[in-house]
Amino acid sequence: MSISGGPSPVLVLEGVTVRRSSALLLDGVTCRVPAGACTMLVGPSGAGKSTLLRLLNRFEEPTAGAVSYQGRPLPAWDVLALRREVALVAQRPVVLTDRVLDELRIGRPDLDEDAAAALLGRLGLPSGAVGRATSGLSGGEAQRVCLARALAVEPHVLLVDEPTSALDAHATKAVERVIGELVADGMTVVVVSHDAAQVRRIADQVLVLEDGRLIASGTADRIASLQEGV
Amino acid sequence: MNAAVPGWAGVLASVSLVALTVVVAWRRRLRLGREITFAAVRAGLQLAAVGAILLVVFKHTGLVGAFGWLAAMTLIAGQVAGRRARGLPGATVTATTAVAVGTAATLGVLLVLEVIEARPRVVIPAGGMVVSGAMQFTAVVLIRLRDEARTARLQVEARLALGLSAADAFAPHLRSALRTALIPVIDSTKTVGLISLPGAMTGLILAGVDPFTAIRYQIVVMYMLLAASALAVLTAARLTERVLFDEAHRLRPLPDQSPI
Repeated sequence: MSISGGPSPVLVLEGVTVRRSSALLLDGVTCRVPAGACTMLVGPSGAGKSTLLRLLNRFEEPTAGAVSYQGRPLPAWDVLALRREVALVAQRPVVLTDRVLDELRIGRPDLDEDAAAALLGRLGLPSGAVGRATSGLSGGEAQRVCLARALAVEPHVLLVDEPTSALDAHATKAVERVIGELVADGMTVVVVSHDAAQVRRIADQVLVLEDGRLIASGTADRIASLQEGV
Repeated sequence: MNAAVPGWAGVLASVSLVALTVVVAWRRRLRLGREITFAAVRAGLQLAAVGAILLVVFKHTGLVGAFGWLAAMTLIAGQVAGRRARGLPGATVTATTAVAVGTAATLGVLLVLEVIEARPRVVIPAGGMVVSGAMQFTAVVLIRLRDEARTARLQVEARLALGLSAADAFAPHLRSALRTALIPVIDSTKTVGLISLPGAMTGLILAGVDPFTAIRYQIVVMYMLLAASALAVLTAARLTERVLFDEAHRLRPLPDQSPI
């Protein structure tokens, strides 16, 4: 998907700086996250990718600058409503209940069993997984259950921190396929990734961070050509 | 003098028990002799000072002095419980408020219902037991809540990320801390008299009161301690929850200090 002249931005960062104690985590970042596209945040460890992701659902607050969602500054939104619209899936899968179905019902208590099974199936998990104990889940399965738990809330924007870092090739493919389907259905997805091949496979827009600064942005092909030219 | 109450000679004789403890500690090379001696001397001096002040309060200051005494005990208890939860912002204020709420509510009910007499001789010992119990359990709940906030950050944030409020996201951890804090007082209420004779009852029996009268007092004391501890712990938990989260339902980072 072309970014220039593409869909209007759903999330906008204007000169965002995040400073914690003496550490500068983000330094004057200005960027736009287009609606209905997959934006990927890349860069070395400590570049500020996860901080940027956490800004978007107000887990972090900018020290300077502003973040807006659908044209309104984030503080103007009811924060609980915002987090249901802009869901975050953390890098480390954390299961909170004893049963997979209960896990999917944390943010959506009225979710019925069939819908839960369908959600899990979409992520490449067998339909029987809905009745399983969470204690028996592998790391990759737990990651996908956490993704399903966030999708159960039916967010408009999905923020995912390294969703496939603990997955095998089969599970990675399933998660990438789901991200592609979600974007095709109009969802905005922001993904932190270290995997250059994955960026080429699923990114519509790439934001490259280094030392808290946005050093490049554009389509995956443009970023790849820039890096090859270095 | 009542034969059941030891005289000063008896008190001096009991020092031999401290000496025995010091000898045992010395022979086992525990290096605790000085500390045991200091603790024993300090306890004796503290109690002598408290006895002298109580004598003045009972004779001259009436209820105002008694409640002043309780207020001072509450402040000290808040300091002690708050220090236990080092690293938790506002722990001393929270602990003091919690002990004050537990003490005021429990003593207030007993006084209004005329279960206990509104006299310094009654209010101070009864209040002292309440403050002490409330302090102990408040410290436990504050320590647990601090540790939960440190160790369960990922779990809490996973719930917050799904749009749950701070109260809902922290509820499982709050419940766990409350249970940990309250189970000991519930257990001691269940086993009262079976494992050891409780303090108030022991004191009354030693003072010559018949056991069946003594148990009436003890029952009131146990219920008083149960209610005071529960109220103090719930107050501490509620106040701590407010401190742990900011207005945007974010779990505040806690300074990483090792628990004492």
